[in-house]
Amino acid sequence: MLRWRGCCKSIRMGNKRLRAIALPVGTIIFFLAVWQAACMAFAIEEYTLPAPSDIAVKMYEDSAVLWTHVQATFGLALVGLALGTAVGIAVAVLLHLVPPFKTALSPMLVLSQNVPLIALGPLLIIWFGFGTTPKLILLVLVCFFPVALSILVGLGQAEPHLREYLGMIGASRWERFKRLEFPASLTYLFSGLRIAATYVVSSAIVAEWLGAGANTGIGFYLKLKFSGFQQAAVFGSIVCIVVMSLLFFYMVVLAERLVIRWRPRPEPEWKEATS
Amino acid sequence: MSGSDSRGSTLELEGIVKSYRRGKERTLVLNDVSLTVRAGEFVSLIGPSGSGKSTLFRMIGGVEKPDQGRVLIDGEDRTGHKGLISYMPQQAALFPWLKVEDNIRFALVSTGTPKREAKEQAAQWLERIQLGHVAKEYPHVLSGGMQQRISFLRALLMRRSVMCLDEPFAALDALTRADMQRWLLELWEADRRSVLFVTHSIEEALVLSDRIYVLSPAPATVLRELVVPFERPRRADVWTSSAFVELKQEVLRLLEAGKVGAN
Repeated sequence: MLRWRGCCKSIRMGNKRLRAIALPVGTIIFFLAVWQAACMAFAIEEYTLPAPSDIAVKMYEDSAVLWTHVQATFGLALVGLALGTAVGIAVAVLLHLVPPFKTALSPMLVLSQNVPLIALGPLLIIWFGFGTTPKLILLVLVCFFPVALSILVGLGQAEPHLREYLGMIGASRWERFKRLEFPASLTYLFSGLRIAATYVVSSAIVAEWLGAGANTGIGFYLKLKFSGFQQAAVFGSIVCIVVMSLLFFYMVVLAERLVIRWRPRPEPEWKEATS
Repeated sequence: MSGSDSRGSTLELEGIVKSYRRGKERTLVLNDVSLTVRAGEFVSLIGPSGSGKSTLFRMIGGVEKPDQGRVLIDGEDRTGHKGLISYMPQQAALFPWLKVEDNIRFALVSTGTPKREAKEQAAQWLERIQLGHVAKEYPHVLSGGMQQRISFLRALLMRRSVMCLDEPFAALDALTRADMQRWLLELWEADRRSVLFVTHSIEEALVLSDRIYVLSPAPATVLRELVVPFERPRRADVWTSSAFVELKQEVLRLLEAGKVGAN
């Protein structure tokens, strides 16, 4: 009886796991099939809405060019994210350690996010020319904010009894920061980083789109094909952008797993559901 | 043997008064508390919960300053000075992102032990209290009792001559608690540091201490100072003796009387 139940349980667990992958994949396939069928049934022109097969063929034809552009965008986004994170951490730490700065600069922080990229981009190009500098500035501006904000919250959240302990043994302000506040804020850092990683690729595209003259990156390719009414190629670049965005997101998830090892791993949900 | 200077220091509190402002009212928490812990003595503070024991600790730790009165260590006025005591709080207060050995090591280094010595001591002592196998674990995998052992070890190894233990076993179950008391006695009797121990368990105070101060409910003042006459090293079955029971009843009476007096 027990064995039978155990065996049944493992099958159910297997099913659940399988379903977690199969369901979303199935949904995407279904969606693509409907799309393909609609294009064929209503004879939709490629310049209006290309069928998935058109997009796939176009991507294959253009793969060499596409690959160099993907590399350029990926590199730009990676450097932008890294710099943005560094700036975000630096800003948050500074504001945390010097409370008057926090009061003085908090409105500026929010303000920096309210300036639209498409207004700022051309200005940065006027100031810094057509190189990578204006693009990077744009990316740093996008990425630093969620990172800074989440760390700032995290730094203030350190457990009171640990704070009290450090006070009682006479630890210095710097030790309190190094041993307590900063490590405690790391989980917050990663939730900010996830948001930044989600935005960084599309922001890189915008920067490339605006950065006329520089002729690399998916954003440049997208702009080129768009003005040439090559919709299949436009969709191809969307595919690249989405895949890269996912890649960035999961890079952060992986980094979080590697860095934060002191927390018990959350139980996989299927365990909870079947017990 | 733990790297501290021999038997510890004398800690004296002289007429400590402290009140807090709550809105417009001032609430008196400590009302003229005086006590002494002599070098190498184990002294317990016992009182009803909310009688300002933890506040008193914060004065000793230098985190807060008393309105009146002085904190003396080895006869010198150290009121408001931080970093002179080692401390073990009620919750183990281990840092979750540091492995067990690093928890001990970092605390020792930040209280003045050279790095290499801290590392050696941590490894050596973990082995000695039979917790060597968890040295490289994160604290969350340990039981409450194990965490408290590590927290106590951390306090014991600090280069400080007065140890303040704030209800360290309050969160443990009765069995683990008795176990921990015996364990602590063994370690302490080999080292004889000056200890100020806060508890609200009468038995615990009687089993562990040389002397006991009984505090009244807030505003706290010392109701009585009792000498615990049992010999050292203390026997594990000391609580079965009739003298123990009598002392226990006396403390109980004092606490009851204090309660009535306050109302």
